[in-house]
Amino acid sequence: MSAVTTSSQHAEFEPLEALTRPVVILVGHAGSGKSEIAVNLAVRLTALGRRATLIDLDLIKPYFRSRIVRDALGDAGIEVVVPGGEMVYADIPIVCPEVRGHIGVARGGREGGRWGTEAERPTLLIDAGGNDNGARVLGSLAEVIDPNLTDLLFVVNISRPFADDSEALSRMVTDIENASGLKVTGLVSNTHLMDETTPEIIEKGLEASRALSRSSGVPLRFCGVPHNLFPLPSNKGEALGCPVLVVERYILPPHVQRKAGFRRALAL
Amino acid sequence: MEKKLMKGCEAIGEAAICAGARLFFGYPITPQNEIPEYLSSRMPQVGGTFVQAESEVAASNMLYGASGAGKRVITSSSSPGISLMGEALSYMAGAELPAVIVSIMRAGPGLGGILPSQSDYFQATKGGGHGDYRVMVLAPETVQEAVDHTIKAFDYADKYRNPVIILADGILGQMMEPVTFPEPVRPEDLPEKPWATTGAKGRERNIVNSLYLNPDVLEERNWQLVKKYEAMREDVEFDTYHLDDEVDVMIVAYGTVARIARTAVDTMREQGMRVGLFRPVTVYPFPSDALAEAADKAGAVLTSELSTGQMLEDVKAAIAGKRPVEFFGRVGGNLMAPEEIVEQVTALMERQGRSVA
Repeated sequence: MSAVTTSSQHAEFEPLEALTRPVVILVGHAGSGKSEIAVNLAVRLTALGRRATLIDLDLIKPYFRSRIVRDALGDAGIEVVVPGGEMVYADIPIVCPEVRGHIGVARGGREGGRWGTEAERPTLLIDAGGNDNGARVLGSLAEVIDPNLTDLLFVVNISRPFADDSEALSRMVTDIENASGLKVTGLVSNTHLMDETTPEIIEKGLEASRALSRSSGVPLRFCGVPHNLFPLPSNKGEALGCPVLVVERYILPPHVQRKAGFRRALAL
Repeated sequence: MEKKLMKGCEAIGEAAICAGARLFFGYPITPQNEIPEYLSSRMPQVGGTFVQAESEVAASNMLYGASGAGKRVITSSSSPGISLMGEALSYMAGAELPAVIVSIMRAGPGLGGILPSQSDYFQATKGGGHGDYRVMVLAPETVQEAVDHTIKAFDYADKYRNPVIILADGILGQMMEPVTFPEPVRPEDLPEKPWATTGAKGRERNIVNSLYLNPDVLEERNWQLVKKYEAMREDVEFDTYHLDDEVDVMIVAYGTVARIARTAVDTMREQGMRVGLFRPVTVYPFPSDALAEAADKAGAVLTSELSTGQMLEDVKAAIAGKRPVEFFGRVGGNLMAPEEIVEQVTALMERQGRSVA
């Protein structure tokens, strides 16, 4: 794999600086962008020369799961953990045994200094399903998930139905915490309207995420900005006041030509 | 109104509320669960009723009852579930009851798989239930069109006193796109249905039934229904892309495949190839006349579907041998990539002895 192409553009706003725990779990409303953020984080880690493993633990939606790009991620050296054989296509609640193993290894790496250097230590990204229903599976993994070594990131997209006001957002944070038995440790502002996203929409979403951060006391970790809008014209990214994750769309509908995003991010 | 980012299924649910429907009866099945899930939250917010029935058979007969009482009502399901609704569909057509049925197609036959397909085209357009009946079938291509079609479907259902099917593949049900909704209709502002069973105080009784024992009466009734189905032709809809001038190949596709074909047409046009797309929007009634006219300006026709060749029969019947009609399908839940359509068109042009730019 060749050199990183995008990192230099926004190194000082690197969202991964904030992600120091070995296990990163993405939760949030259905359709808020957890899978796309998970895939983007995995690619970003790889682009920075770090190792990433992605667990697709979405037991809710049947299509457009992060597993549909597992071949491309595999080519980039990112392991994707999904149910084996034809069960990868099913929408039944399967938690494959490797999941517990991976979480244990990620913990061991941190605690026991198993990995020689930080770069060798894989970050384990877990893409949970939407809403509290999707987060419930995390409760079943309680005995292996160490809260002190885990970041639970709540992804916010206020363009989605039932996710468009502060009350709904706060309620979902609580519902997810109750279902998973974990506390949300960070917010990810990911408000967008697919191809119709404008800087104003991103900024409005960022405001809502900030308000949620104030009311909940949970820090805002970073803001997703589509690659074609980065840097935002008004402020070139810095004035957003938080790190930016430049988001490529990898999980695409069939009429869109694929692969451009991977090529851009990884210079494959 | 501000745009929302919605899955096709959720958008169909909200569109039903916009159209003044306050009743949903259904039973879960992938890949359309987001419709009942969405409406289970939304119906109570607007004073409506959501019922998860004990089966698709029950749900579709609840539709019959609610529609007979004059209410706008909707259900949704996917392939095997729609099969179970076939009986009620026939009864509703027989009793001339308006209702909207959303069919989000997955791969079959039998239990099949949960991935997208278009292999229920026959089921929707040619029957599904028993007897000489037809239902209007709308096939949206985008999430916004799914919204618009759902609202129109309620109007067509009332206009023709007949069930209307929204026919979409699983991709359209699951994909997210920005959408807007029109000003919602208030149920109390909808036109009266003088035939409905709303209580016979002070008037003749209204009977909702499809039983006709006398063969002469039933025969007469069948021919009357045919007149109604023929009248639906005035609402035929289709869409064309790059078909203003002559083309070497005209692709015919609907729903998600039309969308994939559009990307393929763009690619081929950039290479100087003379290719266009004809997209049936109503698949019953089928836009046969418009398609035949478009074929006059095409060298050959390529029908592409997520089936082993179902709409193909309607395309062939419309073109009636005037032009070669070839077929490219993917099934089992697999989709074609835009590049595969480019390959198929290129190969067809070569077979036809036409230069590929």
